[in-house]
Amino acid sequence: MSTQVFTARRMGWVSCSVCHLLSSAAPHEDRVEVFRCPRCGARLYSRKPDSVARTWALVLAACIFYIPANVLPMTTVVALGKVQSDTIMSGVIYFIQSGSWPIALIIFVASVFVPLLKLLILAFLLISVQRRSRLRPIDRTRLYLLTEAVGRWSMLDVFVVTILVAMVNLGALATIQAGPAALYFAAVVVLTMFAAMSFDPRLIWDVLEE
Amino acid sequence: MSDSNLSQGDLPKVPVAPLKEKPSRFSLVWLVPLVAALIGGWLVVKALREKGPRITITFRSAEGLEAGKTKVKYKDVEIGTVSTVELGEDLQRVVVKADLVKAAERLISENTRFWVARARVSATAVYGLGTVFSGAYIDMDPGKPGKPMRHFTGLEEPPIVTTGLPGRHFVLESPRRESLEVGAPVYYRQIRVGEVVSYRLQEDGQKIVAKIFVHAPYDKFVRQNTRFWDAGGIDLKMDASGVHLYTESLVSVLVGGIAFDTFDGGLNAEEPAPEDTVFLLFPSLEKAKEKVYSTKNYFVLLFDESVRGLSVGAPVEFRGIQIGQVIDIKTEFDLTTNKVKIPVIIATEPERITFVGALPGGRTRKDLIDYLVSQGMRAQLRSGNFITGQLYVALDIFPKAAPAQIVHNGRYGYPEFPTVGSTFEEVGSKLSNILDKLDKIPLEEIGTDLRDTVKGAKRITTSPELLRTLKSLEEAVNEMRGLLAQWRTQTSPELNTALVQAQSSLAAMESALRADSPLQSRLSAAVEEFAAAARALKVLADSLERHPESVLFGKGQGQ
Repeated sequence: MSTQVFTARRMGWVSCSVCHLLSSAAPHEDRVEVFRCPRCGARLYSRKPDSVARTWALVLAACIFYIPANVLPMTTVVALGKVQSDTIMSGVIYFIQSGSWPIALIIFVASVFVPLLKLLILAFLLISVQRRSRLRPIDRTRLYLLTEAVGRWSMLDVFVVTILVAMVNLGALATIQAGPAALYFAAVVVLTMFAAMSFDPRLIWDVLEE
Repeated sequence: MSDSNLSQGDLPKVPVAPLKEKPSRFSLVWLVPLVAALIGGWLVVKALREKGPRITITFRSAEGLEAGKTKVKYKDVEIGTVSTVELGEDLQRVVVKADLVKAAERLISENTRFWVARARVSATAVYGLGTVFSGAYIDMDPGKPGKPMRHFTGLEEPPIVTTGLPGRHFVLESPRRESLEVGAPVYYRQIRVGEVVSYRLQEDGQKIVAKIFVHAPYDKFVRQNTRFWDAGGIDLKMDASGVHLYTESLVSVLVGGIAFDTFDGGLNAEEPAPEDTVFLLFPSLEKAKEKVYSTKNYFVLLFDESVRGLSVGAPVEFRGIQIGQVIDIKTEFDLTTNKVKIPVIIATEPERITFVGALPGGRTRKDLIDYLVSQGMRAQLRSGNFITGQLYVALDIFPKAAPAQIVHNGRYGYPEFPTVGSTFEEVGSKLSNILDKLDKIPLEEIGTDLRDTVKGAKRITTSPELLRTLKSLEEAVNEMRGLLAQWRTQTSPELNTALVQAQSSLAAMESALRADSPLQSRLSAAVEEFAAAARALKVLADSLERHPESVLFGKGQGQ
């Protein structure tokens, strides 16, 4: 790739993110002013504004929530008067001990591995963009796509808990209650999804064009 | 990137975007991690604040205890969770570490007791059935406030009485265990009012000391003069009025129990007993109802005869009323005199005897026993049962006994009470009584009376009237003999001929009745004829029954 590439950004053109109208919005040096789409009036920007900072904020928030999501109990099972609270990892261990390897694997991947992977990928992308790294931009873009694609599936755990709570309600025999971790886990998933959305993958390539 | 080939002049015209307002410098998105941090911080602070003391409890067995699962509960409220279950360093006990909530800090002290609540079945009740499903948990009783403590030794059995249970503890003492059992019921008028908390052998091994708990409001019925007795099992009594079966309840038959009641003086006689009052435990209701005499006088009796049949506990009686019992029997052999002495120690209860009036000579009650001995009171071995040979000690007045005194400062530690021998001396005194009575018989008078009688008899035999009477008697006998000879010569030949005639007529009768005699054959022919006639009559009767009309119309044409 040569450094002199013809791009809309260099021409001072911006595509409206809502109606996709291409309009001329010459950037100022200090990038203080913001333009409006002449057709739909939406805000115009050539790159997502404050992308790195916003993503960092959301990733950090998700990291903080990740701790209680794993430490606090996810479900509280009351079966025949026996109360048992399980965190995500204790549930995984329970399924491994009871021989249900596939279920344990699904829970582990969906609830522990994927959220952590997303957070790590986002953090890696952010750091690489901030360090203006030119290393393997295509692979990094693929990582980003992976993060975005897998995002919605991370809610699997929350869905399972929700269904269990609704279905296993046998009065005195057995009930399942959602633990506080479910809330934090949902927060982690939602925050990472927002973080992935707020990250602008074009930042990966901007370095290469200069 | 085919567009890169385009030159600047070929660019299409695009509309120019108008300016919008200035964006704020501060991005609101940073509020998100801030909120997250606040929540996280709040969680950490909450966890730290709620973190209570970590305690260690040692148990003999970790049965049912699981790290991270088993709860610590007080009054069924969860106050902690077992975090680790490990073997102790000495491998003898199990060390359980538990994290309690903050609020539990006030509860636990050196007096706190912990035990594992499991399902238990005893003869009286089933406990902790809930733990069958929920699993065991560690229960606790905070006890009285005391110094804070973090290391505890768990109880193996749940305590019977926990703090805060209204009621009072009492102590029972008994020479035997009776039916004392931890958890055994305590009854008051057949109502279950408490339990046996614990029992143990006293350090010196002399008696059993039991602790019982009587629940409020029944504890006020335990008074200073209340009697406790063993109510276990069945009390079967047979007497003249029938068979009596007595039991407090079916439970007490199985597991035993204690009952109490106040017998004398009514309910208001004595104050309710304070906590930990010591009572005697009587073996039965009968024994409990017996009067207990507080003052006891001990004496030693020295016997030289055999005490076979006398046992410790044998009664000491005064004219058939028990006034004490034998406490101990010893043997003593005097090497210098070659004599055997048997000191028997008795305890008497003088309160059993009511004394009326005053002692002569200004003596006081203290001199009573000395006075009685000077009046001839002695101890004696007597046979209580001729079959078993049981002996008892009798105190009685022997007016003729050799004078004796109570030896007060003897070497036995007890006053020596004088005794009299049972066999020899008793027989001797009886013999002398018989001799005394013999002495009183008026032998001289009897002799003169006897002589007079003999004289009278002699006079009668020599009198002429008697001679005459004998003579006329002889005549009467001679006359009688003649009469008999006459009867023999005249009457007996006639009688003989009559007998011969009777014999011949009997022989004729016999020949007539013989089987081959003509009378016999004629008789049998007549009987056969008679039978034929009877048959004909029967046929006639039958035909008449069938054809009654034949009487009038004759026999019809047969069909």
